Amino acid sequence: MDVIFRVRRFDGEKSYWSDFVIPAKKGMTVLEGLYYIKENYDGSLAFRASCRMGICGSCAVKINGKPVLACETQILHLNSTTIKIEPLDNFEVIKDLVTEFDGFFTKHEAVKPYLIRKEDRYSEPEELIQKPEQLYAYYKYSLCIKCGACYSVCPASSSRDDYLGPAAMTAAYRFIADSRDEGDGERMQIVCGDCGVWRCHFAAECSEVCPKKVEPAKAVQKLRFRSAIYMLEKFFIRW
Amino acid sequence: MRWLKWFEFRGKSLFHISYSLHRLTGIVLVIYLVMHLSYLTSIRIGREVYEYFTSTTLTPAFLIFDILLVLAGVYHGVNGLRLILHEFGLGYELRRPLLYLCYLLTLVLWLYASYQMYLFVMGV
Repeated sequence: MDVIFRVRRFDGEKSYWSDFVIPAKKGMTVLEGLYYIKENYDGSLAFRASCRMGICGSCAVKINGKPVLACETQILHLNSTTIKIEPLDNFEVIKDLVTEFDGFFTKHEAVKPYLIRKEDRYSEPEELIQKPEQLYAYYKYSLCIKCGACYSVCPASSSRDDYLGPAAMTAAYRFIADSRDEGDGERMQIVCGDCGVWRCHFAAECSEVCPKKVEPAKAVQKLRFRSAIYMLEKFFIRW
Repeated sequence: MRWLKWFEFRGKSLFHISYSLHRLTGIVLVIYLVMHLSYLTSIRIGREVYEYFTSTTLTPAFLIFDILLVLAGVYHGVNGLRLILHEFGLGYELRRPLLYLCYLLTLVLWLYASYQMYLFVMGV
């Protein structure tokens, strides 16, 4: 079955649409379709991809208006003869489907997404034991692949550049909820700030589009509750 | 005009539409509040002015605006309660049924309020 790929192109100056006919077969993914274009029609088509199995999060694009992983989306499952492929929203487009992720990763880095211990004894390392329920408290949030799908649909991120965004908030919650972590204070200072959790207005669209079902909206709301308690504690301790 | 992105619906779910409607109804209510306070303040100019203003709002022609205003108010209130619940970290797993319940409640309350307003304005 022939399917038309309408790809949003950008050459650094102007934006336009290009149409390509793809001979779609059962099981063929949109990413394979993009490779087909690159190999047979236009070698200049730019897109990101790496693992081709929904692990790396590189190939997130907007397909028929919805952000998804191109490698996990089968062409025939879309039930459409014309498929619109666009770069993710809320990101600056570099070329065609390739967007600038520097800002996204800077925000991710800002929430200190690593275990913080008060004392690191590298000379005498000790095992940090966790019970299963302690693992389940954060496990789901650790599955984020940083594809940027949640960030691209977040209305708070679209109207403010400095908002940290759902992915960074989820990463912050993932470590705050981790029983081995001792960096609550440092991280809370960041997430309670002007660009933190209070900018979220619970559109919950991030959870709807997450390809890994990480539920960033839930993480943000849980983080909000914790930040409210943290801010109250800080207020009363000061007085 | 980045705030216009609040109203981009293509490819978005009912959650995003609810968010956009919440913003829109919020703006409508702010405009209404300004109008309402202006009408009330008109009594400082004179009783006749105030009565002229208020009498225009009690006409059958104005009823349609009142009904739409009530829809905006009821939706904003009911959806606001849903958001407060979620923002306290409660009922997240039930977010979809709660969203449907929010729309159902809005519809029922709006129809009831509209009926009562109709009876009042028509003097039935």
